[in-house]
Amino acid sequence: MAFLEVSCLKKIYTTRFGGSQVQALSNVSFSAEEGEYVAIMGESGSGKTTLLNILAALDRPTGGRVILDGMDLGQIKDKEITMFRREHLGFVFQDFNLLDTFNLRDNIFLPLVLGRKSVQEMTDSLLPIAQKLGIRDILDKYPYEVSGGQKQRAAVARALITNPKLILADEPTGALDSKAANDLLTLLGEINRDGQTILMVTHSARAASRAGRVLFIKDGEVYHQIYRGNSTNEQMYQKISDTLTLLATGGDVR
Amino acid sequence: MKHGFYTRLAVTNIRKNRRTYIPYILTCILTVMIYYMVKSLSVNPGLGEMYGGGSAAVTLNLGTYVIALFAFIFLFYTNSFLMKRRKKEFGVFNILGMEKRHLARVILTETILVTILSIGLGLGLGILFDKAMFLLMCKVVGAEISLGFFVSDRVILSTVRLFCMIFLVIYLKSIYTVQISKPIELLRGGSEGEREPKTKGFLALLGAAFLGTGYGLAVTIKNPIASMGIFFVAVILVVIGTYLLFTTGSIVILKLLRKNRNFYYQPGHFISVSGMLYRMKQNAVGLANICILSTMVLVMLSSTTSLMFGMEDMLKVRYSRDFEVYSKEPDATGQNDKIFRKIEEFCETESIPVENKIRYASLLLVAEEKGDWFETDGKKIDVTGSASEFRSLVFVPLSDYNTESGERRTLAGNEALLFSNYEAYEKPKLGVFDREYQITGYLKEFFGEGVSNTNIVTSYYLIVTDEEFEKLKEISERELGEAGMVQTYYAFDTSASGEEQEMLEERILDIIVEVGAEYEGNFNGYMESRAGNRREFMGIYGGLFFLGLFLGTLFIMATVLIIYYKQISEGYEDRERFEIMQKVGMTQDEVKGTIRSQVLTVFFLPIAVAGMHIMAAFPLIRLLLAIIGMVNVKLYLLCTLGAFLMFAVLYVIIYSLTARTYYKIVRR
Repeated sequence: MAFLEVSCLKKIYTTRFGGSQVQALSNVSFSAEEGEYVAIMGESGSGKTTLLNILAALDRPTGGRVILDGMDLGQIKDKEITMFRREHLGFVFQDFNLLDTFNLRDNIFLPLVLGRKSVQEMTDSLLPIAQKLGIRDILDKYPYEVSGGQKQRAAVARALITNPKLILADEPTGALDSKAANDLLTLLGEINRDGQTILMVTHSARAASRAGRVLFIKDGEVYHQIYRGNSTNEQMYQKISDTLTLLATGGDVR
Repeated sequence: MKHGFYTRLAVTNIRKNRRTYIPYILTCILTVMIYYMVKSLSVNPGLGEMYGGGSAAVTLNLGTYVIALFAFIFLFYTNSFLMKRRKKEFGVFNILGMEKRHLARVILTETILVTILSIGLGLGLGILFDKAMFLLMCKVVGAEISLGFFVSDRVILSTVRLFCMIFLVIYLKSIYTVQISKPIELLRGGSEGEREPKTKGFLALLGAAFLGTGYGLAVTIKNPIASMGIFFVAVILVVIGTYLLFTTGSIVILKLLRKNRNFYYQPGHFISVSGMLYRMKQNAVGLANICILSTMVLVMLSSTTSLMFGMEDMLKVRYSRDFEVYSKEPDATGQNDKIFRKIEEFCETESIPVENKIRYASLLLVAEEKGDWFETDGKKIDVTGSASEFRSLVFVPLSDYNTESGERRTLAGNEALLFSNYEAYEKPKLGVFDREYQITGYLKEFFGEGVSNTNIVTSYYLIVTDEEFEKLKEISERELGEAGMVQTYYAFDTSASGEEQEMLEERILDIIVEVGAEYEGNFNGYMESRAGNRREFMGIYGGLFFLGLFLGTLFIMATVLIIYYKQISEGYEDRERFEIMQKVGMTQDEVKGTIRSQVLTVFFLPIAVAGMHIMAAFPLIRLLLAIIGMVNVKLYLLCTLGAFLMFAVLYVIIYSLTARTYYKIVRR
């Protein structure tokens, strides 16, 4: 069985006052192996965010299953779901979601503190990560004192520090300028090469072109996927652009 | 644009922002109400008729200025918070094509609406509430209070003027904020980062020192005369200390906690400590205000209630018998005997029961303690110097003492027995004029009359032999004239009815006048009765009680409002923070827990410190109350506890309401 197995995922939202139903996901199935770097692309309303929320155990699917490293997300009790998220998943958000009452170090420590780790353990695990992400010298700074790129790197450190099985990134470059975005993507690539499984939702073809595989979602279904194979980033970018054009014009790539 | 457009837009805006606007408008209404009520009380004509009403009026009048300042700061603060939250909205309007002058006009319309609403409702409710309070209080205190309900157009005008001014300033500040910002800043305005507060260790230490000194003064003071002056010094020290400790001390402590890594990096402490750090930065002054306000309320409530309920005790202390006659006869020609006989005759013929009769002579000298000799010459007593050296010396002949106390003491030559009401006299000898006495024994109690019972000066009662008493009398009359005359105290209790007592009172006054006339005014006597003074006491302490309750209620309302508003406004700021924490892996229960601990701290820190203040102030206030004859410590303790408990219960109710609302805001 694959490391991450998503099968026949379905999500239907019912509007609050009964009546109309909206189908966000109709039938999504895909799998990813450990150490893979998967990007998910799609237009607004295609169901990307719903998919990510279900993968993050923030939302429950109407039908279908998600299995991460042998654990069925649907079987986890409500009470344990927060702990599950804390221990097995890492999150990187578009708007960083750093707390401005904490300095960067404490922001990164947050999930560990919640997991009741000892101070020694926390310090030990922070060092290599901070080194790698190049934020060692700014750990004592507060989020409002550093640049967007630095903030996002701190957020990545926070996601990595629990040693998660899977990193879920939601438009991680969305709020960054192109230089910072590029740096961050390079970093994510390096982290992936170290063996970290990453799943990234993005609009940006540039960001997706760094991934090993790109899934395209349209109308709540996986519509198409591109494997990197031996392509360079440039070639990958080209492929993605082509697919996006086709998607937009409604052509059939299959 | 059409004229009605702005009004409609303003109304829509207020309605749309009702979650922040309603508390704001409520705050405005209540502030207007409080200002109106205090101002109207301060010019209440009944206040002048009340005993001590003059100084109460002055205090209240000063109080109105404080409230005005307080209202200004508070409304300004709440509005700036409101504006911060609304910046984004203005940004959108701006981008959609409204020019800044149009925005200014929208804000103007909104301000006018709020002004009309708050002044109108505030005054209306203020007048209504005023009436209700007076009705209620008259029921509680009895109808004897001269303070009546009244409406003054002068007060209404001054209220309207003040708040129009405050709202004008608030309006100018608002348009200034909009004017200087660029649209993009407006759009982003709601989410500016707060800087971490700085550590000011020196100020924190200074605060602790101030507080410690204030407490020390309050706890160690024994001398009631000095206590008045000390009280104000202690209050000022404690107030400054409280502000310093809340603003800087709290931050120092939190930062120390944060430095202790093993403590800090625990799920509960981690979020609370860092959250509190920011919270204290914004709230320290507010919390200090609440603390001082609550302390004031508690002191006011406890002392006025204990005075009210301790009135009978005070009457008993001040008037140790139902009827008391003080008389001085210059020529020793038997006026005293004449008066007392006439009173007794009258009681007999009218068959008025007489009990606990007492009669003794005494010589009261005001003196300054100089080693073991006492200076009695008024010109030589240093009035400007330390009041703690002032003493009253009361000499009583041994025969009178033995008769009235039922003891059989004997004294020889220059021996004397001593009793002190406050500070002990520990020297073996005591000299006055050219006489010197050996203190051969100390008395545990003395059956003194009311006037010296309530003497706040340390008084030494000296029992001397009858021969010595005569000698002293001679010397003191020669040296001091009328001030050095012996006074005879004659008093008794009676179980007669109120009417009979009234009759007796009139008769005794007549007797004093009659006898005085017989001796061509060369006679000095007066009478005091408990019944006659009960009415006066009721007027004084009933009035004080009313003031205490009235102001206490007002301040409690103000306190409640500040806290509620603070919590609610913070809820909006904290919402984002808790959302992030939940995303990063905090459970609902953990969120609830940290919210509870933070809100609890913010809520109960001020009242806990207020409790501490009250405890430290207890001995001092006890002394102050003793000055006016309220010596029932147990009653005062009960009143203090009662007031504190009532306040605490009210506080808990508000807390639970607030915490619920806060949690609702944060969780969504």
